[in-house]
Amino acid sequence: MPYVGQNLPHDSAAGHVTGRSQFIDDAPPLRGELLVEIVGSPVAHGRLTGIDAAARAVPGIVAVFTAADIPGHNRFGPVVVDEVLLAHDELDYLGQPVLLLAGETRAALDAAKRLVKIEAAPLPPIFTIAAARAANSYLGPERQIARGDATAAFASAPHRISGQLAIGGQEHFYLESQAAIAVPGEFDALTITSSTQHPSEVQAVVAEICGLPFNAITVITPRMGGGFGGKETQGAHYAAMAALVARKTGRPARIVLDRDTDMAITGKRHPFLIEYEIGFDDAGQILAYDARLWSDGGCTTDLSFAIMERAMLHSENAYFIPHVRIRGQVCKTNLPSNTAFRGFGGPQGVAGIENAIGEVAAYLGRDAYDIRQLNCYDDNERNVTPYGQIVRNNTLPPLFDQLRANCAYDARRAAITRFNQSSPTHLRGLAMTAVKFGISFTKQHLNQANALVNIYTDGTVMVSTGGTEMGQGLNTRVRQIVADALGVTYDRVRMCATNTDKNNNTSPTAASAGTDLNGNAALDACHRLRARLTEFAAGLLADPAAGLTPSPGNIELCEDRVWDQRNPARAMTFRELVTAAYLQRISLGERGFYATPGVDYNRDTGRGNPFLYYTNGAAVAEVCLDRFTGMLRVTRVDLLIDIGLPINPGLDRGQITGGFIQGQGWCTTEELKYGANGELLSHSPTTYKIPNVGDVPPIFNVNLFANPDSEVSLKKSKAMGEPPLLLGISVWAAVKDALQAAAPPGTLARLALPATGEEILLALGGMKNSNAKLVNYPQSGFHLVVKD
Amino acid sequence: MRDSLTIWVNGAAHNVRDVWRPLTDFLRADLGLCGTKIVCVEGDCGSCSVLIGRPDAAGKQIDYAPVTGCIQYLYQLDGAHVVTVEGLTPTAGLHPIQAAMVACHGAQCGFCTPGIVIALGALGQDRLCDSAEVRRALVGNLCRCTGYQPILEAAAATDGLNWPALTSRYPPESLLPKLLTAARESLTVNDSASGLLWHKPAMLAEAAAFKAAHPDCAVICGGTDLGVRANKTRRAPRVVLSINHLPELHTVKRTKEKLTFGAALPLSRVEELTRADFPAFAAMLGWFGSPQIKNAGTLGGNIANGSPIGDTMPGLFVLNAKLELASTTNTRSPSVINTRWININEFYAGYKQNVLQPGELITRITLPLLRPDESFVMLKVSKRRDLDISTVAAAFWLRWAGPATARVITAARIALGGVAATIVRAPEAEAALVGQPLSEAAFAGAGQIARGRVQPLSDVRGSAEYRALLVENLFRKAFFELSNTGTNATEAAAPVPYDDFQSSTTIAIKATSHNGSIPPSSIPRR
Repeated sequence: MPYVGQNLPHDSAAGHVTGRSQFIDDAPPLRGELLVEIVGSPVAHGRLTGIDAAARAVPGIVAVFTAADIPGHNRFGPVVVDEVLLAHDELDYLGQPVLLLAGETRAALDAAKRLVKIEAAPLPPIFTIAAARAANSYLGPERQIARGDATAAFASAPHRISGQLAIGGQEHFYLESQAAIAVPGEFDALTITSSTQHPSEVQAVVAEICGLPFNAITVITPRMGGGFGGKETQGAHYAAMAALVARKTGRPARIVLDRDTDMAITGKRHPFLIEYEIGFDDAGQILAYDARLWSDGGCTTDLSFAIMERAMLHSENAYFIPHVRIRGQVCKTNLPSNTAFRGFGGPQGVAGIENAIGEVAAYLGRDAYDIRQLNCYDDNERNVTPYGQIVRNNTLPPLFDQLRANCAYDARRAAITRFNQSSPTHLRGLAMTAVKFGISFTKQHLNQANALVNIYTDGTVMVSTGGTEMGQGLNTRVRQIVADALGVTYDRVRMCATNTDKNNNTSPTAASAGTDLNGNAALDACHRLRARLTEFAAGLLADPAAGLTPSPGNIELCEDRVWDQRNPARAMTFRELVTAAYLQRISLGERGFYATPGVDYNRDTGRGNPFLYYTNGAAVAEVCLDRFTGMLRVTRVDLLIDIGLPINPGLDRGQITGGFIQGQGWCTTEELKYGANGELLSHSPTTYKIPNVGDVPPIFNVNLFANPDSEVSLKKSKAMGEPPLLLGISVWAAVKDALQAAAPPGTLARLALPATGEEILLALGGMKNSNAKLVNYPQSGFHLVVKD
Repeated sequence: MRDSLTIWVNGAAHNVRDVWRPLTDFLRADLGLCGTKIVCVEGDCGSCSVLIGRPDAAGKQIDYAPVTGCIQYLYQLDGAHVVTVEGLTPTAGLHPIQAAMVACHGAQCGFCTPGIVIALGALGQDRLCDSAEVRRALVGNLCRCTGYQPILEAAAATDGLNWPALTSRYPPESLLPKLLTAARESLTVNDSASGLLWHKPAMLAEAAAFKAAHPDCAVICGGTDLGVRANKTRRAPRVVLSINHLPELHTVKRTKEKLTFGAALPLSRVEELTRADFPAFAAMLGWFGSPQIKNAGTLGGNIANGSPIGDTMPGLFVLNAKLELASTTNTRSPSVINTRWININEFYAGYKQNVLQPGELITRITLPLLRPDESFVMLKVSKRRDLDISTVAAAFWLRWAGPATARVITAARIALGGVAATIVRAPEAEAALVGQPLSEAAFAGAGQIARGRVQPLSDVRGSAEYRALLVENLFRKAFFELSNTGTNATEAAAPVPYDDFQSSTTIAIKATSHNGSIPPSSIPRR
């Protein structure tokens, strides 16, 4: 039985449960090791006017570094070179690193930090999308994806709704904070152990900062204690700080951010504001959708353009809309640069259309599930996205049907309506939302990977890829793939820590594509090794005397055994085969390579085929609200998702439950609050509330939609890292459904995301508190409440 | 006479003089036990969970309970036995909960996992895991990867009754006498060069004498607040008096009129103690915090800390709880203890200010029992239901007369948290309710009055507008709680009941075995 498809435990699971798995800060201190502490900007925006580093005199402080001490370039950035490691002139956000302390003990650093004074001349800061728009503060040009003639379609549409949706950011809350250890070596080498999703990026940034060539820098990532996008670009800064200290002092250096600092100075999921208008007919058929997306990129570009792009590419989600105009603009503010976070803009784009569709249903007095089914992409003409990609192997319509039947949606809808008419204390809501998540990096060149597969003469196999392990199970899946491909048992295959001296120029482990890219690269190496070994085995297992000439086509390798199908009795072990091959000077190592075929996208025209395929799914959430407090309980969730044929069903299911709950958190309790000076008030778990066990719906049905026909992907599997997160939006939509049940006739409930207790109660208690106004649409004569 | 603290870790004794630091630092840096992780250093994520064993009140056995090691400072742990994830792991193979976590994919990135194993490992000591109990046990453990469902499945896949007992790994026969001796001993550690002083008295009188001599010392009971403060400011208190172990502060006495208990009882014990007489109070403690926090934190500490948003405080206010305060004037021969009782309504003087005299300690708390014609309800509003600090908390106490169908309120006490610098009573609203029938209209009216009298602040937990609205609404909510006429009005009644549409056609995620392969029932076969 092949290993691919089996439910094997995560390959670090035993280490995790016993506490033996080593994370960055678990490494014992090296001889002479220094600890690194950051001192940051005292203002959110301003000019640096002075640094009083009396801290140098504190016993145990070995060095104090500012931008002037950087031997290489103090400028970098993953897309646009607009970041500095240490501020030297302009200060762009509160806490922005200005100075590094290197000390021998924690106590010395604490004492020294109290002595450092950073002086700044403040400038007016910008903290919100609204303020950035007012000040024309943008990071780049507006982009657009359009099809048809939205203006004309709105003019003739029987009904139109417009509004705006405010969407909050989200803290990653990876449990292991940003951390790195840098160790200087011979010949100017630096070895960095980093908690990063992107070792090659760390290598490049460290090289730039230290003024060294890439080949002097080795970056190793054994594992991360969670990433979720927060370590795609932003692990590099802290690794570079440790590297700078190691380079300048010649001593090993360790940096581990404490939780409050990590939350205060690292980027988050981008907050969005979506201004939208949707046009539709009496039946609920969507005729046109116009959305302007504004994101808060923070103070530098980071990945903001790509994130906005993905938001725009997901703004129609699972629905065919004939006339579409999506515009996207990234605002520049005086907050830490916002960054990748699982979903990468997709969740914000999807929340926009799902919200609008919910309003279409409420306006027409129809069930929103009907409207979603009506507008879903199909397999005929209504299967082309606004950017021109055809939706193939489209499982959405049957998936919608199956979920509706299986979760008893209609019976529950009736029960909820009855409940809401009779309960004086609570309100319930029910909603389905969908996901059609495009798999591939939208930046074409990132869709490549390499892998190294080495076979040793004892028949064991060592595999390295550029993919990093952050709990998602990439290494386990690659082991399964390699074991099958080489015909060895699973326990003979070992994954080594991700390491830039084994795999060069790698892409980040991101975009849900880690297994697709790295698994394919490993497979490529295995195929060539297997072909070579098969050829060789054919000679060894041939028996000319018995009339069996060498026939590679008849050679089988499976579970450490090698035989010729024509004479199975005469088998040899894999170990015997590779030992013999070694003695015959046959190479037992291969480097594999993979480039995703056929993906391209032109961001200037808004057209192309950015994705290899889509991962599709839908969820129905049911919620119960307390009318008096706004407190929310998610009482049931039914989730159905098409992930093809899973490589490891258990690991995949873990991604689905984890992604969903993370999305639920973003939609409900996770609220980033800032003070007047741009300081993050919700900077620790006491004030920033990610879901805990009590938030898991008591009924949580996760089912996989049977799809054996996903031909284009690795072993017919589909990526599932990010898509389930977007289904958390169903919880938010269910809250809005409950609010709609309490809304006065002829009005639409309005709700921001996240739906905190406060947001819910204020929405319930009064549209009177919102600056609502009545708008009369002449086409329908219907009065709407529209929030400014 | 010892001049250092003695702490047992995974069965081995360690003598420590540098006690002004968190347990986690000692475990990780000194002992190399890095399975215990550090994330938030405020007791709010559970990654640093360890089991702490102490002799029970009778001195007959060692009781183990999970606590968050990051806010347990060493000066709280003389004579304690700490079991870390390394100490829970068998010398060969895995503990059943570990095996189940492996098989059910309960770990992804692995960083929270040791804490989860400890939290669940604690549960299995003497009782079977049911799902509600598992959820309660995990309230204090944040996991960002799994969505918890695989962890719940792992717990469901094991049988806690068959778990190996900690006592077989760490035989109490040899350990208990040593723990008892150390725990009962008076101990002082000082580092005169740096002005650090820690005292652990053997009896209350000794504690009172130390407090009189060092009125500005940090009095550590559970330390769940002071530990956080020390971590966040990176400054531990320099002069420390530990009192959590004093037997005088662990007494319990119930008469026909009142329930009296020691100020150093952990909140988890208070929750059990109040369940019969004050179910609303016990239920509030159910929402109060994680097992780890409740196993360390104490009601006395909660009161002394004086947070204006303390969840328990409004309840204590409306119940007219009384506090026993003890002190001594004779520091030379500290056998003379003076005590006085004070109503908690008169205890606070301002934000985190109270009327304790410099040498006084809170020693006991008395709650008058409810009469049959009295009702008591506590409400809490927070952003997240569990393990969160109140945005607004409220408590209502009512006395009524008349038949069940036509009850009239004859006395009312109402207290609100989260709306001012201290817990406040709502005297105008109380007065408005007296003489009124038990009706929604009466409560709504009183709520409007109360809302008009409070001037809450906006902060990270909620805006002033939201808080004011909550004050008004909580009166109406209290009506439904008190009259029990609302549908599902009680927050504590976990999952909302389902009527006729329980899932019948889909198959819930469920672990079916724990032998390494758990095929999810709905996954298509290859």
